[in-house]
Amino acid sequence: MNHILAVFSPNHAVSRRVFALMVAVEILVFWAIWETVPSAMIPRPGQVTEAFGRLWMEEGLGHELVTSLLLNLEAICLTAAISLALAYLTVLPVVRPLVVAVSKGRFLGFIGLTFVFTMVFAGGHTLKLAMLVFGMTVFFVTSMADVIVRIPKENYDLARTLRMSTWRVVWEVVVLGTMDQAIEVLRQNAAMGWMMLTMVEGMVRSEGGIGMLLLNQNKHFQLAAVLAIQVTILCVGLAQDYAIGVLKSLLCPYAEMGKESR
Amino acid sequence: MSDLAYERKEVILRVADLSLAINGRKVLRDINFEVKDIVRPGCTQGQVLALLGPSGIGKTQLLRMLAGLQRPSTGTVTVTDKAIPVHPGMIGMVTQSYTLFGWRTVLGNLMTAARQAGLPTREAREKSLDLLRQFHLEPCRHLYPAQLSGGQRQRVAIAQQVLSGGHYLLMDEPFSGLDMLEEENVCKLIVGVSCADDLNTIIVVTHDVRAAATVADTILMLGQVRSADGKLLPGATICEKYDLIERNLAWHEQITTRPEFYDLMRELRAKFVSLAGP
Repeated sequence: MNHILAVFSPNHAVSRRVFALMVAVEILVFWAIWETVPSAMIPRPGQVTEAFGRLWMEEGLGHELVTSLLLNLEAICLTAAISLALAYLTVLPVVRPLVVAVSKGRFLGFIGLTFVFTMVFAGGHTLKLAMLVFGMTVFFVTSMADVIVRIPKENYDLARTLRMSTWRVVWEVVVLGTMDQAIEVLRQNAAMGWMMLTMVEGMVRSEGGIGMLLLNQNKHFQLAAVLAIQVTILCVGLAQDYAIGVLKSLLCPYAEMGKESR
Repeated sequence: MSDLAYERKEVILRVADLSLAINGRKVLRDINFEVKDIVRPGCTQGQVLALLGPSGIGKTQLLRMLAGLQRPSTGTVTVTDKAIPVHPGMIGMVTQSYTLFGWRTVLGNLMTAARQAGLPTREAREKSLDLLRQFHLEPCRHLYPAQLSGGQRQRVAIAQQVLSGGHYLLMDEPFSGLDMLEEENVCKLIVGVSCADDLNTIIVVTHDVRAAATVADTILMLGQVRSADGKLLPGATICEKYDLIERNLAWHEQITTRPEFYDLMRELRAKFVSLAGP
C-alpha cells in the first residue's frame, strides 16, 4: 500500500521493480484506451500491426529504415563535430559573434531555406544531409554554448592554480569537464534529428527513406500505415537514445553521481 | 615573549598597497602585510597566517588576488625572497567548496597536479599514492569527487595543491561546517603541511576565531575602519595584527588549554564583534 502511495508523493524515490510495474500499468491503460476509443478514424492496434507487416513485406520499410538510419547517423556525426568545435571555440572572443549568429539560425524556417540549400548543394543525399546538419547544428550550438558559459569560475581557478597553460585549461575544464553534458546535448539533438528527417525526406525525395514512405501513406490516407511507421520511428529512436545513454554512462560514470535518485 | 627559540629571516611574501574596487565600489583598500621565513633551530617550521574577518568583508577576493587569479585595482603581491610578482600557479588555493575536477577520480586529480608540476607519469603516480596514504585517502583513490564526504574532498584538495609543488597555499574557510573533531583534524593537517618544509606558507582565511588562533603564528584582522571624523571608510583593510609567537601562543601542543589562549580569544572576539557592527 505504501508503494502505491509513494508514486503519488512529490520527489519520492521508487525502486526499479515499482518503476517497471508502473510503466507496465501505464502501457496497459494506454492500450486499453486505444482499443476502446470510440472514433472509427483511429486505427486499432491490430490494424497497425497488419499495416506494419504489409509495409515491411511489400513496400520495403526495412530498406527505407536503413537508408534513413544511415543518413541520420551521418548527420549526427557531422553535427556533433561542427557544433562541438564551434562551442568550444567560444573561448576565443573572435569566434563568439559567429556562434551567436549560428545560434540565431534556429529561428529560420526550414521550408524557406530549401531553395537556398538546393542552390548550394544541388540535390540528393548531400542536400538532405546539409539540411539536417543545419537544422540540428543551430540547436546543438545553442545548448553547448550555454553549457560552456555556465562552467563555474572555481573550475578555471583550480586549473590555473595547478599551472595549466591557457589551452590546457580549455582542454581540461571546457572539453573534458563538459563531456557528460555534451553527450546529453547530442542525445537530445539526435532525437530532434528523427523529427527533422521525415520532413527533409518528404521535401527531397531522391534516395527514398522512411520520411518519403510516411508522406506517401499520408497522401493516400493510409492511417494504419502512418501509425505503423511512426511506431517504427519511435522504437528506433528509443534504441538510439538508449545507446547514447549507455555511451554516456561508460565514458562519464560520474555524471549521475550526486543527483537525487527518483 | 616566546619561550621557543626562533628567528624571522627574509620576506617571502609581500603585499603592498593592495586595493580592489568592483563596479566602482571599493571592496578592499590599503592592504599591506608581509610574511617572513621563520627559522627554528632543530626543527622544520613553516608559516601559518590567519586572515580573520566578518562574512562578506572581501576575504575571498583578497585570496584570489594573492593567488594571482584576480588583478587588483592597485598594489602588488610578490613572492619568494627575490620578490617575484605573483601569477597564477605560484600559489595554490583550496576553495571553500573544495573544488576538484569532478570528471577525474581522486587518483586522477592528484596525478593531474603532479604531472602539471613536471613529474613523469610513473613518478606522479607513486607520489600521488604516497600522499593518499599520508592523508588516509587510499581507499578512496578510485572514487569520484561526488562520492566523497566534505572532509575527504577537503583532504584531496589539499593533497592536490601539495603535489603541485609550490610552497604557498591559500585556504578559504577551511573550518566552515566542520564538527569539533573534524576541525581538530584539519588544524593538525594544516600544521602538518606547514611543517613539511621551512618555506611552506599557509594563509587561512576564516571567520572561526578559535581555529585561527589554534593553527596560526600570526593573525590579521580584516575590517572597515573609521576616519578621524568618525565616518566609516569604504573598503576593508587590515585593522589589527596579532603576533602569536611573541605572545608565546604558537607551536605549542595543547595550546587551547592555556589561560593566555582564552585571553587572546576574548580579545579577538571583542575586536571581531566591533568590526562586524550591529
